[in-house]
Amino acid sequence: MKYRVLSILRVLGLIVYLLFAVFPLVWIILTSIKPINEVYSFPIKYLPSRISFDAYRYLFSFARFQVYFKNSFLVATVSALFSTSFSLMSGYVLSRFQFKLKHFLLLTLFFVQMLPTYLLMIPQFTMFSKLKLTNTLLSIVIIYTGFGAAFGAIMARAFFKSLPKEIEEAAWIDGCSRFEALLKVVLPVFLPNVGAIFSFCFVNSWNEVFTAVLFIHSDHKMTVPVALYSFVSKAGIQWNVMAAGIVVALLPTVLVFAIAQRYIIQGLTQGALKG
Amino acid sequence: MKRLRFWIFLMLLPTFALIFFINLYPLVRGGVISFQRLTVFTLNRPRFIGFENYRTLITDPNFWNIILNTVVWIFFSVLFQLVFGFILALLLVKPFKGRGLYMGVVFYPWALSGFAIGLLWSWILNGQFGILNDILIKLHLIKQPISFLSDPRFAMFSVIMINVWYGIPFFAIMLLAALQSVPKELYEAAQIDGATMWHRLVRITIPCIKPAITSTVLLRIIWVMNFPDIIYGTTRGGPAGATNILSVQMINIVYYQNNFGKASALGIIITGVLLAFSVAYLIVAEKGAFEL
Repeated sequence: MKYRVLSILRVLGLIVYLLFAVFPLVWIILTSIKPINEVYSFPIKYLPSRISFDAYRYLFSFARFQVYFKNSFLVATVSALFSTSFSLMSGYVLSRFQFKLKHFLLLTLFFVQMLPTYLLMIPQFTMFSKLKLTNTLLSIVIIYTGFGAAFGAIMARAFFKSLPKEIEEAAWIDGCSRFEALLKVVLPVFLPNVGAIFSFCFVNSWNEVFTAVLFIHSDHKMTVPVALYSFVSKAGIQWNVMAAGIVVALLPTVLVFAIAQRYIIQGLTQGALKG
Repeated sequence: MKRLRFWIFLMLLPTFALIFFINLYPLVRGGVISFQRLTVFTLNRPRFIGFENYRTLITDPNFWNIILNTVVWIFFSVLFQLVFGFILALLLVKPFKGRGLYMGVVFYPWALSGFAIGLLWSWILNGQFGILNDILIKLHLIKQPISFLSDPRFAMFSVIMINVWYGIPFFAIMLLAALQSVPKELYEAAQIDGATMWHRLVRITIPCIKPAITSTVLLRIIWVMNFPDIIYGTTRGGPAGATNILSVQMINIVYYQNNFGKASALGIIITGVLLAFSVAYLIVAEKGAFEL
């Protein structure tokens, strides 16, 4: 009897949390496909009487979101590619070799991971303006790559540590060089983890807003978060358009997370806890 | 041997060169700028002014209010994230059909842009057309709609609620991993001894995962302190400074006052607090919960 009550409570708890977690996303999607008069209707209409894509049409023609989306995609992809490659290289070395500065380098990685982007944006801005690189996508690509490489290296190191050294050594005995062993034996096993690191870096770059707002001024160079930021202060942006903009900003990360979440979670818990 | 060492150096170079130029050098540069009068219009003509920036910051009558807000924001955000994240982890620890799918669905907020989440919730909490007011009125819990984000009495509570919604998955993920590593034998032995569920929770589960709780909480304190995104998507520190925390204030000084020197001084103060917590975290972490 007591067991029955408990399991009912458990199911109830899980359902309540599911609704709580999913509801905001559902509501913003519903708002984005409502005809404008139903967005501001009183009393509130929960479901649209007809599905309207006006908000998305406005977003991708008049508000030029196709440009911002392309910029965001470019910035996030390029920086994630570089930071993944760099972090794989350093993560491998940090997991497999002993050397003098290793402890210091690891401490540096952990420390750097705690510095948020906004905290360093002023000195970065003065540095990049000396190089005449502010207001370029390149500048934020470089910055995001730096942040990505730091936490990517921690993830990569944790992954490599969980991979038995013997697999590699067996390949050496079979006559593979160190590099060949990495390419032919380690990488195939490691591919899901590479995906996890890549998606983690991608998501973080995609979401970054404060540095981008400070660095980017020209309209055609804006990323999606910068465009949303400028929406807030722009008069006359209706909430269905805002909602559509939010959906566009969120959807790619929801998709990436849906695909890679298992491996990201694995990497995260391994990186922080003894696993 | 020499070749190997060169190879190690080469593999480490891109990551650490970038970290130096993007993180470490700017950190030092920020320290220098904090002693300068530097605005966006005088980028090439910085002037050293000693502790002037720090003095204006600390003598600002709002400064202690901002500190208090920051403490409230961190304390209640992390507390409720921990409590609800722990409950969720407990609900999920026993496998059931569809658990993987369930976790995949409910953990999604974790990957979302905090800024966009702030914007999203400001529509839900809207004083006029917000659905939350509508639901609360229909349930007869309130009579008049509440201006959740523009009433100073409710604003801090509201942004903390959003942050809790956002942060539960992280705690649940970390604590679930810890729960799954608690040896099964302990529970079996307790069952034989006739321990109640409450006893098992307090005497076995919590002591076993305490290192994980401590390190997750410390990590989260650091992270929440440095998380202006949600507040920036909703109130930008308003109304009347009710939700202004250190990180939000720093961004406001950059964006609205264009005063890089003053903002850097605040940045250094934040870094100091951050450093204290980071050291605490690393000490706790090195002691047990994870290895470096």
